[in-house]
Amino acid sequence: MSRLEAKKPPLFISEPLTKAAVSQSLSLLNGILKSCYGPTGRLKQLHNCVGGYVCTTSQSLAIFSCLSVSHPVLRILVASVQNHISRFSDCGLFTAILCCSLIENFKSLNVASCTVIKISKHLLSLSMDYLKSEACGCRVSVDFSSVESLCCLVRSVLTSKPACMLNKTEVDHLTMLILKAFMFTVPCHVESTAVLGRCIVVPVKGRRVMDSTVLPGLLIEAPEIQWAKPLTVKRTSSNMIKIALFCVSMAGDCFSPEEGTIAVHHRISLEMSELNQLLNVGRQLVNDEVGLVVCQKVIHPFLKQFLKENHITAVDRTGLSLMEPLSWMTGSKPIASIHSLSPSCYGSLKDVCIERFASKYFVHLIPNDTVVCSLVLCNRNETAWDELKRACETAEHVLQLTIKEPLALLGGGCTETHLASYIRHKSSSLSNSSFKDIDCSRTQYQLVADGFCRSLESVACSLKHDDGEILTDVVYGHCWFVPSGFPSVSNWADLVSTCGCGINDNTENLNWRLLQGQFGSPVIQGCPEEPSGKVANLKTLDCFAAKCSGLQVALETANLILDLSYVIEDQN
Amino acid sequence: LPMAFRDVSARRHIGLQQLSSLALAGRTLLGPMKSCKFIVDEDTNQSTLICSAFRLIESLDLTSAAGQLLNETIQAQNKEFKTGMSTLLFLVGAWSNAVLECLQQDVPISAIVSVMSEGLNSCCEEVQCLQIPIHDVNQELCSSTARPNAFQSKTCQVGCDSLLHPEIFLYVQKDVSAPEKVVPINSCSHQDDNCNFNKHLVSSLAGFGSIASLVKPAGDKSASVVSGSGVITSSCNKNKLTYSRYFNTVGKSCFSSQQGNFQGYFSGQSADPCECYGSGHLAMALSHGDQTSMKLLQSIVTYQQKRAECSGSSQFNIAEIVTCCLLGLPESYSCVSPGFVTLVSPEQAAVIKYFEEKPLQILLMDGDLTEQYRHLGFNRPCNVRTILEGPSLQEGRAGDLWLSSSLDILTSFEVNLVLVKGNVCENLMERCIANSILVIGCVTRDVLCAFGEVTGAQPVTYLTQLNASCVGSGAQVELWEARDGRAMDLGELVPVRIKVRGLSLLTAVLTTTVASKMQLIEDQFWTAAYRLHHALNDGKVFLGGGAVELLCLSHIQVLAEQPVQPANKNALKEFCDRWRAASVTEYKSVVLQALASGWKRYLSAVMCNTAKAASELEACTSIGHHLKKAADYGSPSAYILKEFRRGDLLRGGSGPFADHEEGLKVFDNVTAKTEAWRRALDLVLLVLQTDAEIITGPKRNQLLNSHGSSEFMFL
Repeated sequence: MSRLEAKKPPLFISEPLTKAAVSQSLSLLNGILKSCYGPTGRLKQLHNCVGGYVCTTSQSLAIFSCLSVSHPVLRILVASVQNHISRFSDCGLFTAILCCSLIENFKSLNVASCTVIKISKHLLSLSMDYLKSEACGCRVSVDFSSVESLCCLVRSVLTSKPACMLNKTEVDHLTMLILKAFMFTVPCHVESTAVLGRCIVVPVKGRRVMDSTVLPGLLIEAPEIQWAKPLTVKRTSSNMIKIALFCVSMAGDCFSPEEGTIAVHHRISLEMSELNQLLNVGRQLVNDEVGLVVCQKVIHPFLKQFLKENHITAVDRTGLSLMEPLSWMTGSKPIASIHSLSPSCYGSLKDVCIERFASKYFVHLIPNDTVVCSLVLCNRNETAWDELKRACETAEHVLQLTIKEPLALLGGGCTETHLASYIRHKSSSLSNSSFKDIDCSRTQYQLVADGFCRSLESVACSLKHDDGEILTDVVYGHCWFVPSGFPSVSNWADLVSTCGCGINDNTENLNWRLLQGQFGSPVIQGCPEEPSGKVANLKTLDCFAAKCSGLQVALETANLILDLSYVIEDQN
Repeated sequence: LPMAFRDVSARRHIGLQQLSSLALAGRTLLGPMKSCKFIVDEDTNQSTLICSAFRLIESLDLTSAAGQLLNETIQAQNKEFKTGMSTLLFLVGAWSNAVLECLQQDVPISAIVSVMSEGLNSCCEEVQCLQIPIHDVNQELCSSTARPNAFQSKTCQVGCDSLLHPEIFLYVQKDVSAPEKVVPINSCSHQDDNCNFNKHLVSSLAGFGSIASLVKPAGDKSASVVSGSGVITSSCNKNKLTYSRYFNTVGKSCFSSQQGNFQGYFSGQSADPCECYGSGHLAMALSHGDQTSMKLLQSIVTYQQKRAECSGSSQFNIAEIVTCCLLGLPESYSCVSPGFVTLVSPEQAAVIKYFEEKPLQILLMDGDLTEQYRHLGFNRPCNVRTILEGPSLQEGRAGDLWLSSSLDILTSFEVNLVLVKGNVCENLMERCIANSILVIGCVTRDVLCAFGEVTGAQPVTYLTQLNASCVGSGAQVELWEARDGRAMDLGELVPVRIKVRGLSLLTAVLTTTVASKMQLIEDQFWTAAYRLHHALNDGKVFLGGGAVELLCLSHIQVLAEQPVQPANKNALKEFCDRWRAASVTEYKSVVLQALASGWKRYLSAVMCNTAKAASELEACTSIGHHLKKAADYGSPSAYILKEFRRGDLLRGGSGPFADHEEGLKVFDNVTAKTEAWRRALDLVLLVLQTDAEIITGPKRNQLLNSHGSSEFMFL
């Protein structure tokens, strides 16, 4: 008999944020994330220290997915950022860095946390109202009738991931491919509700990026198809190809993996009876004039042979991920049982052919009216390919979000600094009654607003990784970078060329000042103006929806963490 | 649960140091004169002989992240090209060192990244003028032999002029009996040392395939016209060289009516002693001194060309080549055998004498030939119990049942020869031998495919699937014999040759008496074969022997001196493509020198390895000498071209081999080389930009207790 051990009492930790270990971890995490941010961000090698695959990345998605943090405070943070990433793909690092900075800045204020929370909520609503208003000076509307701003959005996503190892031509090529793929997924005929199609990434690793391409329809890898060259697919009388899509295994193995035992007479072969059942299905497919059979799992070689003899092309082992787009594209219903086959399940295709990329053979299914396409994505090595795939998927998602809400925010740190200077201006001109509503003093409000603005600005500062300075201008509130190696002279105009987003240049005197002038009191300034530069000069744009959500998530998570007064740990 | 975090970024970047020290091991593997290495495993005391970067990296224990990435990069290059791995490895090391030096000088990382990658791009564009279309290679090779060139003629000028037009014309006359009047335009390239001209030539030949589909009359009224932009666009994407040096598959339909004429034309050409090799000649220039592989390839090319004349398939098809390694014969016995040569046991070989010359029925199986084998994805039911109602006496054990039924199937279809992709059940093998059926296991898919195509056999997974239409016919098996009929006393295994009329397979039989060299010889053969394959696929080759690297060096000199500031702001913008790397200008020349030092070290290592230079210093002096002369010449590429034709390129002069290499010209692959550069630089820049390792997985406590725990931070 084993002895029962007495249960340990749970551990109470009060005011977790004041503990040194927590703030250390938090600042370490913030440091890691800041160092990853932006197109010149530093990369991280993720590996298990025993050899094998090394993931080189600077993307929040990859880092967070393998990041296991021990402290509950950090876990809250990681969980909410991950949730943001799963919904928007983009702006994960922005959210996480902003959240860390907000916690650090708010914690250092000598203001009760409940007051901080109230004020910061007010600041958030000010910011959101501004971003969503027509007067907003840091957003542009995206014109879907031209590719310029769409290209800019995609390019911004790609260039902000240096581990993809792309040069300029490759970025341009991929930008066009991603846009093309996106266009394929937009349905031509829209009824009441439009549903965007899907773009499937087909991996071809080891090839040059320039070998990537986009094809309408779906590619299914089929190594055995080279037996079947040349491919001739049976067509129906209306010159269509009838397709049957199976999601059940047709391998001919027994169907009851559950518990219990089947007793079988030794003269009876279950395998044979199962195979006969499969051949019956095959006969029905022949009768129904099916030309192509696609199975998610394995097709028994016997059945394959039977189908081939009857001029039906069979493709198996497509995997679960292709099933939904397959059924969508062909209009067929996945058949889940080999015992009942309804003719209404069949779908149709315009054409089927064999494609070859590198050493891989693919069956290319071409639909009549395509909203599904395949992006054949190449990159030279595995780690860069993985990074590129994540970047492409993010870009695709950004385009989807943008078509819903055709707006974009200025990139390159300009949105952050512009918003900060707007909030600085706004908070200094609030009426006394609003303070009363929030139940705080003007000084308290000013302190919190300053912390909020500095957090925003510190995100913009994270774009800088080598020596050098970051400036902001008093007129537009944009973000400017000065390369290192220049003496700190007063005439900044000689050193800056364009602002972070590229819309303003140094032709007019914009009265620059150092952004991180945290030592002196921030300059109280007028409301930042809308940029006067040409939209065509834009270098970077950020996804509107993702950034707005990031701002909200960061602030709400920071508030939640600030509000923590106890951590109760079960020690058993 | 835990995550550890190690800061690697410092002036002395650990990752780059690791790369540099790993790459150092591959220094002697560079160039045509490689020194082999023995790699000894201290635990097992086993050793392997290696002579390529790929095998070197494969045999090393790489646990560090940078080492793992290096391994991945070399593997990727090997998978894609089978050549260029040593170049890649060497440049990784050289560039790592160069970048470390930049870091020492406080060059910002973003400047290193943008200048180096843009610099490499610029060099890759520049060296395009040293590309030679493969159908010029023969002339390039022959020009040194002072052979009267049949192509030099009065119409040449027309061809040259037409090159300057954006469109490319290929002059083909119907009158094939007069080859002097036929001017394939590209043959003119060697007559003119003018660099501009060459540039034109090369740029206009960028889409080599398009030439083939565009045929224009040369003023001769009997010639027919096939042209049109539609043809060009459709053929640009996938051009594969077929049959001749000038025509490709896609274009074929356009002038099928002329096919006969062309055939005549080219067979007419083969009377020319320098033309007869075709890509055999190219194989020699690409072999970089590997005589054995070169000879094998030349005979493969001859076989395939002969075949191509009948069938019109491509000139050199690497998928139709297999290798068979015979240990115990001297290396001079290596040869090419039509058909499929493989090793079998003496018992299996004994079956062959029953076959004699008669054509055999052949069966292909794409799985294992065992009772237990089930196709992939078949899950054995675990909860089925078989009930025996009583002892059954007449039937033996279940295994015997399968054996006899399998044998029954084979005999009833009169199968004599079974090729199996996987393993073969030993008992069945014995029974088959007793019944004079030859069963051969572990045959690759490509071989099965080739046999399927020509015999009509359909591969099956189970013997029970078999029906008459699956069985092919017409195969013949014989014992493989060396040229002199020398007895094959190779111990346990006997080589046999399976042939079928029309079978496209060729086996390169590789022989050696030294067991540890076997792998090496096979690797070398495949490297040479893939070099030829890629050259034909690219449709062009680089001038070899250091020409390309030398041009890169001289181009970088030009780039470094180019004033980028106010003069041409656009160029600067292009140059600083990486967003906001404005500090580039300041560090440009330092970083470009770092890039150049990679090629400089490469050249000097090759020169030292081939004993063209006694020391690195001497090599560098020689390189510097050439660079200066190239700069003085006005057009560096023209200078390099001139020196290359004279065979003077990077010849130390003092080396003992200086005389032997008269007229021996070397070419390199285009894509494989530039890709190796790009991959090497990508790896170095990837590691350079990494500032931390994040260690995942359950190793926290180990890391905490290790002596290096102070390096780690924990979250």
